[in-house]
Amino acid sequence: MQAPQLPTSQVEQPKESRFSPYQNNGGTCLALAGADFCIIAADSRLSLGYSILSRNTPKVAQLTTKTCIASSGCNADMVTLQKYLKFKIQMYLHQHGKEMSTPAVAQMLATTLYHRRFFPYYTFNIVGGLDQNGEGCVFSYDAIGCFERLKYTVSGSGHALIEPFLDNLVAYKNTDNKPTIERSCDETLELVKDIFSSAGERDIYTGDFVDIYIIDKNGTRYEQFPLKKD
Amino acid sequence: MSITEYNGGCVIGMAGKNCVAIACDKRYGAQYQTLATDKTKVYKMHDQLFIGLAGLATDQQTFYERLKFRLAMYSLREERLIKPASFGKMVSTLLYEKRFGPYFIEPVIAGLDKENKPYLFSSDFIGAPLLPDMDTNGFVVAGTCTEQLMGMCESMWRKDLEPEELFETVSQCLLAGQDRDCLSGWGAVVHIICPDRVITRTLRGRMD
Amino acid sequence: MEASLEIPKGGFSFDLCKRNAWLESQANYGSSSIIKKAKKTGTTIAGIIFKDGVVLGADTRATSGPIVADKNCEKIHYLAPNIFCCGAGTSADCENVTEMMASNLTLHRLNTGRECRVITAVTMLSQYLFRYQGYISAALVVGGVDSTGPSLYTIHPHGSVDQLPFVTMGSGSLAAMAVFEAGYQEGLERQPGIDLVRAAIQSGIDNDLGSGSNVDITVITPEGVQRFRNLDKAEPKYKSKNPLFYPKGTTKYYDEIISKVAIIEGDAMEQ
Repeated sequence: MQAPQLPTSQVEQPKESRFSPYQNNGGTCLALAGADFCIIAADSRLSLGYSILSRNTPKVAQLTTKTCIASSGCNADMVTLQKYLKFKIQMYLHQHGKEMSTPAVAQMLATTLYHRRFFPYYTFNIVGGLDQNGEGCVFSYDAIGCFERLKYTVSGSGHALIEPFLDNLVAYKNTDNKPTIERSCDETLELVKDIFSSAGERDIYTGDFVDIYIIDKNGTRYEQFPLKKD
Repeated sequence: MSITEYNGGCVIGMAGKNCVAIACDKRYGAQYQTLATDKTKVYKMHDQLFIGLAGLATDQQTFYERLKFRLAMYSLREERLIKPASFGKMVSTLLYEKRFGPYFIEPVIAGLDKENKPYLFSSDFIGAPLLPDMDTNGFVVAGTCTEQLMGMCESMWRKDLEPEELFETVSQCLLAGQDRDCLSGWGAVVHIICPDRVITRTLRGRMD
Repeated sequence: MEASLEIPKGGFSFDLCKRNAWLESQANYGSSSIIKKAKKTGTTIAGIIFKDGVVLGADTRATSGPIVADKNCEKIHYLAPNIFCCGAGTSADCENVTEMMASNLTLHRLNTGRECRVITAVTMLSQYLFRYQGYISAALVVGGVDSTGPSLYTIHPHGSVDQLPFVTMGSGSLAAMAVFEAGYQEGLERQPGIDLVRAAIQSGIDNDLGSGSNVDITVITPEGVQRFRNLDKAEPKYKSKNPLFYPKGTTKYYDEIISKVAIIEGDAMEQ
């Protein structure tokens, strides 16, 4: 015998509650490699929806004397990931008695990210620094550890605004008129300030301050550059 | 993918000193498949007034036909050329009329008024007018790569560009912007509207 | 096509609704609606009643998603010589609803031969918005001075109306209201009134990402209206030490057409 069918309106639908473990806290990260220097920068605004949670939360962290990392995306994941990387780098120093090279840090970050392939850190990372030969190097990542060495890269909420600009004025795509001399460190620094002030005008999640790390053979220098607060 | 992005394409307008530029890409696609590479999206309304229509191609065509008709009616009734500002208002009302069943297009208008002052206009697909401040932000963008184009213009535009400088700026902004968008590209066409002539140049770009 | 069809007759056209619904049902354009990129005015708008009249304030940012579409748009609209209106919500709706109401009020003035009352404008607006059941997404702050004195109202997109001595609306409304709650007093003088609204809008600009750029203020008193466009300005954009520009010959082109513009005797675009 068939069970009597209950009218659907009387049947309570199962309640489903979901936990959303990710949030996007916005922000833009940028790195540019020169012949013997690297500049890595990110704005310091922490936002959620239409609210500013903090105006001075750094996204860039110095990992070794010649390596920095910048991450946008979910701030909680960023903090955890950067802390974990610092720990691993410290352990490396103790075990091997030497500092980790930038390409080694880059490879380790990729492994760390892929390790969490099915519950990823919601972060979009950039690693910048000097390689073993003292040349500037930049590494760009997706959230699960696919990475690439580049001359320049940008990630985060303002990436669509900045990326074509770098293609155009750093890589000189779409023209035969390439300048013969490469940009100096100071000129590149000025370019980074220009880029962030333009992105800050148009992207609501980019603003407040830019933390700029300049890495060259003398070590790492930090500079803060103010952006609009609105 | 939004329906406004179905066919792809982008338009950009930029103001100079007594001149104004309007440019578009040439791609025509169906989602990620490219169907044609010679689809320009900028139309001439009269000698000193151009309109670019980004968005769904079928609506571009319909809207352009309606505009031509309305413009013909205007010149018959008024026996004069339409002022760019009036034309902007006309486009805006035509779009807002269909507020609840819109055309999926974003127009960009570029023209010179009778004092040879540049006029730029853009709107969203329901006709919210955007008239940029010519002293600080003399550019408008529309299409599938608005963010890229806006980023370029925000950095590269400056006041009082001469026609040749304007050509270089608008061209480089458009090429750089569309290269980072897979729904736009395949070359570009640039119109520089000057008081005495209109220069139309076809650009080479990445063909992918 | 018949010409008569093309003569504007006013009102909305629903010709494309069926087609658009079909388009949406067809291919998979993702879960989000195909209608998604309308320009919004994220907005902080506010108003207060002071001793002699009304102060209205607004920021000047218009956004499209996370991008700033317009850095200096005008959100305080004219309704009548003695009535002004701040708009938040979908930019096209605010623009058109206020424009339509301004012309209806002009006709009203010509018909009745006297100054419009604020309540007239508010009633007409709320009835219009109610008719469209919230689909015309305009959130308004209407302020003015008429024969009954100064008055201030807010109208929500669904047509509900509030009358209060100090009001805010838009995404920055909480930030602005915090300032009003702390600083508003009855019978404020003119300058403290203006300064309070400035502070409220500035609070929206600073704390709400949907609002930004400059502060616009309109003061309405029985003596007349004073409009301050960009009363407080955002700090100017950073001036580069090495400005970038493209030298001539940067861009290759393979085809050039130069069309001469026909010079028409007299002014072609005259009047």
